Amino acid sequence: MMGRSVSWTEPEKLAALLASVAPPRPAALVPLVPAMGAMRAAGGARARTAAVTPPAPAPPAPKKVTPRLVQTSDNPSDRLDALVGWTLDHQPCTGAFVADDNGLTLAAHGISEAHVALVGPLLSALVAVRAIPGIDASRGALWLGTNMMSWVETRTERGGFCLGAVGREALSIEALDELRDALDTTVRGL
Amino acid sequence: MIDTKILDAAVSDLRNILRDGLVATDIWDRTAGLSLAGYNQQPVAVALFTRITQELESSLVDSSFPPLARYYLLDMEGNHTAVVVNHGTLLQGMLVDNKRANLGILIAVAIPRMLESVARAKLR
Repeated sequence: MMGRSVSWTEPEKLAALLASVAPPRPAALVPLVPAMGAMRAAGGARARTAAVTPPAPAPPAPKKVTPRLVQTSDNPSDRLDALVGWTLDHQPCTGAFVADDNGLTLAAHGISEAHVALVGPLLSALVAVRAIPGIDASRGALWLGTNMMSWVETRTERGGFCLGAVGREALSIEALDELRDALDTTVRGL
Repeated sequence: MIDTKILDAAVSDLRNILRDGLVATDIWDRTAGLSLAGYNQQPVAVALFTRITQELESSLVDSSFPPLARYYLLDMEGNHTAVVVNHGTLLQGMLVDNKRANLGILIAVAIPRMLESVARAKLR
């Protein structure tokens, strides 16, 4: 008479039989190559993560440092030429000039004397503007028709001097500050 | 009293500013017509511009115009500009080659510096 066969209804006995004939199983299988599905799932997760996480801000572009103008000559012509050269080298412009407050050209490159001469009426017109409290009006920009002329003005005991730069766009406030410093440095020795 | 060393230094400074654009200059006493300092001095020009300046000043007064202030300019043939600077008791003439000298530098830099220097020389 045969004993009762092992059946699905007796799982404990089945497990005991299997354990007696089979080698012990490793605690966990570590696949050397992940399944493609797993890869897709992981990739999707990464993609979702990337879509949700805001992009890291790009490192700020290094700030352009404009070297200060250093005047090495006592000669007015050399000082003015150095100022115009420095402006052309370090500011986004195609022409530069120095004029007195009557619009007389002291030094210029890349701009006609006729254009420089408009400094005279321009600065005269600004006298009334400066009478308004709180308005400085010692720097600005003027659309010439094809180019923008940016200028700064400084005053000395001998009158006013104007440094202008002509280019496609008006210069920034920082650039105008640099021009003003350079103009002050130059005309102090005139 | 006028310190002629300061005048000489002022002329040297003027030559340095205008370089080869300065053809000649004189600084003279307008009553005596005596040149006190200069470069490539021109006695004839001293006499001429003393007379022109006197005529100009009297004409301005007679016409009830404002008096002569700091300077006047003459544009002459051959790219030459004559400048006469009024230092009060002294006059100064400059002959400038206007192809080589910048008018802006002459008016905004050279003349104001000369006025200051001569005023300093007259204080001594």
